[in-house]
Amino acid sequence: MRKFPIAANFLPRLSQLCHSRAVTSPTPAASFPPLALAARDLTLNLGQGSGAVAILKGIDLIVPQGQTVALLGPSGSGKSSLMAVLTGLERASSGTLLVAGADFIGLDEDALARARRGRIGVVLQSFHLLPTMTALENVMTALELAGISDAPALAAAELGAVGLGHRLTHYPAQLSGGEQQRVAVARALAPRPPLLFADEPTGNLDAATGLGVVELLFARRAETAATLVIITHDAALADRCERVITLMDGRIVSDSLPLVSSLGA
Amino acid sequence: MTVPATLPWSSAWRISRRELSARFRGLRLLIACLFLGVGALAAIGSLTGAIQHGLTARGRSILGGDVEAVVWQRGLSPAERAALRIYGPVSTGTRMQAMLSAGDTTAPVELKAVDAGWPLVGRLRLADGRMVGAPSANQAWLSDGAAGRLGVKSGDNVTLAGLPLRVGGIIADEPDRLSEGFALGPTVIVAAQTPDRAGLTAPGAMYRSKVRVACARPCDAAAVAASLQAQFPAAGLEIRTRDKAAPGPANFIARLGDFMVLVGLAALLIAGIGIGGGTASYLDARRGGIATLKVLGATGDDIARIYLLQIGIAALVGAAAGLVAGVAAMPLLARFVGTLLPIDGGLVLDPAALARAAAYGLLVALVFAAPPLAAARAFPAMALFRARVEGARLTLLKAPPLAALLPVTLGVGAIVALALLGSPAPGTAAIFLGGAAGLVALLGALGWVIRQVAAHLPRPRGPLLRMALANLHCPGAHTGRLVTALGFGLSAFVLLAVVQTSLSANIAARVPSRAPDYFVLDLAPELLPAFTALVQAAAPASRIRAVPALRGAILAYGPAGHQTRVADLAAIPDNAWALKGERGLTYSDDIPEGNAVTAGHWWPHNYNGPPLVSVDQKFAAAVGLHIGDRLTIGLLGVERSATVAAFRRIDWDSFGFNYVLVFSPNTLADAPHKLAATIALAPAARTGSRKGAMLRGLTRAFPTTSVIEVGSLLRQANALLDQMSTAILAAASVAVLAGIAVLLGAIAAARANRLYDNVILRVLGASRWQLLALQLAEFGALALVLAGVALALGSGLGWLVIVQLFAFDFLPDWPRVLAVLGSGLLLVLLFALGGSLSLLRARPAEALREL
Repeated sequence: MRKFPIAANFLPRLSQLCHSRAVTSPTPAASFPPLALAARDLTLNLGQGSGAVAILKGIDLIVPQGQTVALLGPSGSGKSSLMAVLTGLERASSGTLLVAGADFIGLDEDALARARRGRIGVVLQSFHLLPTMTALENVMTALELAGISDAPALAAAELGAVGLGHRLTHYPAQLSGGEQQRVAVARALAPRPPLLFADEPTGNLDAATGLGVVELLFARRAETAATLVIITHDAALADRCERVITLMDGRIVSDSLPLVSSLGA
Repeated sequence: MTVPATLPWSSAWRISRRELSARFRGLRLLIACLFLGVGALAAIGSLTGAIQHGLTARGRSILGGDVEAVVWQRGLSPAERAALRIYGPVSTGTRMQAMLSAGDTTAPVELKAVDAGWPLVGRLRLADGRMVGAPSANQAWLSDGAAGRLGVKSGDNVTLAGLPLRVGGIIADEPDRLSEGFALGPTVIVAAQTPDRAGLTAPGAMYRSKVRVACARPCDAAAVAASLQAQFPAAGLEIRTRDKAAPGPANFIARLGDFMVLVGLAALLIAGIGIGGGTASYLDARRGGIATLKVLGATGDDIARIYLLQIGIAALVGAAAGLVAGVAAMPLLARFVGTLLPIDGGLVLDPAALARAAAYGLLVALVFAAPPLAAARAFPAMALFRARVEGARLTLLKAPPLAALLPVTLGVGAIVALALLGSPAPGTAAIFLGGAAGLVALLGALGWVIRQVAAHLPRPRGPLLRMALANLHCPGAHTGRLVTALGFGLSAFVLLAVVQTSLSANIAARVPSRAPDYFVLDLAPELLPAFTALVQAAAPASRIRAVPALRGAILAYGPAGHQTRVADLAAIPDNAWALKGERGLTYSDDIPEGNAVTAGHWWPHNYNGPPLVSVDQKFAAAVGLHIGDRLTIGLLGVERSATVAAFRRIDWDSFGFNYVLVFSPNTLADAPHKLAATIALAPAARTGSRKGAMLRGLTRAFPTTSVIEVGSLLRQANALLDQMSTAILAAASVAVLAGIAVLLGAIAAARANRLYDNVILRVLGASRWQLLALQLAEFGALALVLAGVALALGSGLGWLVIVQLFAFDFLPDWPRVLAVLGSGLLLVLLFALGGSLSLLRARPAEALREL
C-alpha cells in the first residue's frame, strides 16, 4: 500500500500558513488539535486558453477533526467545486491541501481514489446508488473497496442503524427517495471514515423526509465522531453546524469560526 | 485497516457479479456477435478438419493402396510392374468409356476392369449385403445408375461391345470411388481380361491402365513415387499416393477452405465491430455507476478489473454458445458437401479447430473491447457533478486512450500469428487481414469526414433538420460507429447478392449454346465413312466433326539444345497445367475450328517437312516458349520432338475439341490411334425416338465405340456447381447474419442516445411525425452515403471471391444487387424508426418519468 505523508509532514506548511496570516500561535506545533482538512491558497481553473474559467480563487481553510461545517453560497459560488477538490474528485490547479492526514497535491486520480477509501464518505444530492445492486450490496461495495472484511454483516448492521434493516434486498428503484438517501448515508458511514461530506443531501427530498435524513446524518455522525462538511442552501440546516462558511464567486467571504478559533486557540 | 492498492480479483469479481444481470442485459449484442463469429469459425474449422482427417485417415482405402501408377493407352511394362512389386502385392486394371446394352436399351458407362487382387484395401459391398472383390470373367457389378438406365437387375444379361455378361450384383459401396474422379457415366466393374475380350483395348483406344501397390511393410509412399518417377522419367506415369488419394476433392477443399477462412474472419471482424459497439454502449450506460464507484474509492485499475470480468464472462458465454452451435451445424454442413467429400454426417469434435475458433473470438473481443474499457478506466468521478451541467452529452465515446494500445497491439499480434500459423491458407488470411485493417481505417476516416462536413455545413432553418445535422457531429455522436457498422453490414448484403447472382449466371452460362449433342470416343479412322453414313441416315442434317485422339505427356520444352526437362522442374509454373501428366494430343492439316493463330505460321496441307507443333498461347506464355523452340513428348512410351511453328488463341467456351498441342500430321499420324467425334443433331432429330434409334444403331455397328450424351454430362456438372454454390452461399450467409446483428446493435445504441432529445422535443411541442422525420433524416442521410460505399466495397469483395478464389466469371445481376442493397437500407430505416414508436405513442409526461 502506498504511504501517504502524515500530519507531521504537514506541520511545517501549517506553520508557514500561520505566519503568512500573521497569526502567532502561543502553543508549540505538537499541541495542535488533530486536523481533518487544511487548505492554503487553493485554486481551481477549468477549461483551457480563452475558454478557461477560474472556479476557486485562493481558498484558505482549516477544519479540525470532529467539527461540523456548513458551506453556504448561491449557485455558481464554487461550493460543489470546493467539495470536489476537498474529496479528491477534482485536482486543484494550485495551492496546498491536506485531507485526513494525506497530502492531496500532486496525487493522480488513482492515488486520490485510494486516499478516499475508508477515510472519506460522500453523500450526494441525487443519491447515486448503483442501480444494479441491492441496498445491502451498495453498502457492501464501499466496505469491500476499503478492504474491510466481513462486509455483509457490517453493511447489514449499518442499514439496520439507518432504519432499513427490512429493505436489504431491495433495489434502488424499489425504494423511495428518502430511503435511497438513507442507503447513501449508510454507504458513506459504513467504513467509519473520519471525514464525511454531504452535497445538498436534502435537495431532492420533500421537507419532512429531508428533515428525517438530516436527523439521521447528524445522529450517526455523532456516534462515529466524524468531521462533517455539508454543502447547503438551507440556512436552517446550516444553523445546526458548529461552523458556517459562506462562499461567493470562488472565494470564502465569511467564516463563523475563523482560523484561530478553529484551532482551539 | 489495510487498504489494498488495487482491488483483489476476488473482491472485483463479487462487485462485478452484483452488477451483471443474469440475463446479460446490455451485453447481448456482444454475446450475439461472438456467437456468430466463433460459431462460423468452429463450424468451418471442424468441417475442414473432418474432411482432411477423412482424406488422410482413409487415403489408403480411397486410393485402394499406398501408391497408384496410371498410364494411357497401354499396359505397364514388365519393368514398371517389377519396380512396384518389390513393395508388396499389386493390383492391375483398366478404366475406359464403353457402351453397355440390355436388349434395345444402350447406356454409356464408365468401365472399370479389375484383377483378382482388387481391392487391395477394403471390400466392395453389394446391395444384397455381400462383400466381394473382382467379378468373375463373365460377370459384371453394375452401379445403381447403370442398372437403372438399362432396366436390369442382378441375374439379368447385358452385352459389352457384343460380349455377353451377367449382372452379378448391384454396387452399394465401392471402396475406391473417390479416387476415380469425375465419371462420364455410371460405373460398371468387370474382370481384368474383359476389355481385351471385348476388343476395347485395341491399339489407339482411349483407356487408362492402373496399377496399385499396397506396401507389405509400412512405407513412405512419397519416396516410392519419387523412386518410380526417377526410374521411368519418360514413361508418362501419373503417380498418386495415399496422402493425395483424391486430388479433385482436395483441390475443391483447398478453395472452399480458403473461402471459408475468409468468411469466418469476415464474420469475426464484423462481430468485432459489434463487440466494440456493444461494449461501449454497455459501459456508456453504466457511466453513472463507474463514477459512483470512483467516488467510493475505486481506482481506474479497479474499474478495469470489474468491467473486464463482466465483459469476459459475457464473451465466454458467447464463445461457448458459438462453439456448441458450430459443432451442432456439422451434420447440416456435411449434407451440403458429403456426397463430394469423405466425411461422415455425424457430430465431429475437433479440439484444435474449436480451440482456434475460441481463441480467435476471445482475441477479437479483447481487441475491440479494450478501447471502451480503457475509456471507462479513465472516466472521471467528477462526471457525477459535471453531468448537471453537461447533461446526457457526457459520454465514454471519445478517442480511445493510450491505455488501450497495449492490449490492442497484443491482441492484433496474436490474431495475425494465429491466422498465419494456424490457417490452412496463410497467404489468403494475410491478404484478408491487411485488407480488413485498411477497410476499418477507411470507414473510420469516412466517419471523421462525415462529422467534419456536418459540422461545417450551413445550419438549416428548420429546427428538425438542424438537429438531425447536429446529431451527426455533436459531442458523443455515434456517427463513427454507425458508419463502420452500416458500412460493413450493408457491404455484407451487397457481397451476398453479388456472389449469389454471379454464381447463378455462371451456372446458366455453363450450358453452352453451341454444345454438340454427343461425344464419340474410340472410333477407328477407317470406320469414319460408315459412322457418318449411319448417323446421317438416322438423323439427317446432323453435323459430325472427328479429330485424331492421342494421349501423351510433355517431357521437355525450350530452345533446341537447351530444353527444360519437366522431370527436373522443382514446381510446375502457374497456368502450366498441361505439363502435369498425360494430355490429349491431336494432329491436323487445318487450324481447328474456333482457334486463331496469334504468332508464327500454320503448316500447309500435306506438309512433309520436319515435325511441327502449334501451342496454346496462354500455355506458351506460362512456360516461356518462343516460335522456333523445340517440344518433346512421350507417346506410348516413345519420345517425339517437334518445332513450335505457331501459337493459337483457343475459344475454350465452344465446348468442342480443344487441344493445347496440335501437331502437323506427319508428326503423329503413324502412331496407333483412334478418332474422337462430336455429333450435333439437327433440331428435327432431337426427339427421344430418333435419338434412341441412332444410339442403338451405333452400338450395334460400332460395338467398341463409346457414345456419351452431353446433356446428362452437363446436368451432372451443373449439379456439382449447384452443390458448390449452396455451400458458398451458406457460408457467406453467416457474414450477413453477423452484419445484421452489428447493424441493429449500432442503431439501437444510437437510438438510445436520442431518447432524451426526443422526449424534450415532445415536451416542447414536436409532433410524432416530426420526430419520425428527424430520425428519418439522420439515419437516411447516413445510410444513403454508406449505400454507395457498400456498393463499391461489397462488389469489390464479391469480385475477389468469384474471380480470384473460385475462378468463375464476374456476372452479377446489378438490378438484383441494387434491390438487395435497397432492402438493407429499408431494414436500417425500419429498425431506426420502429424502436421509437413505443416512445412516440407515450404521453410526454409518462416518457419523462421513464427516463
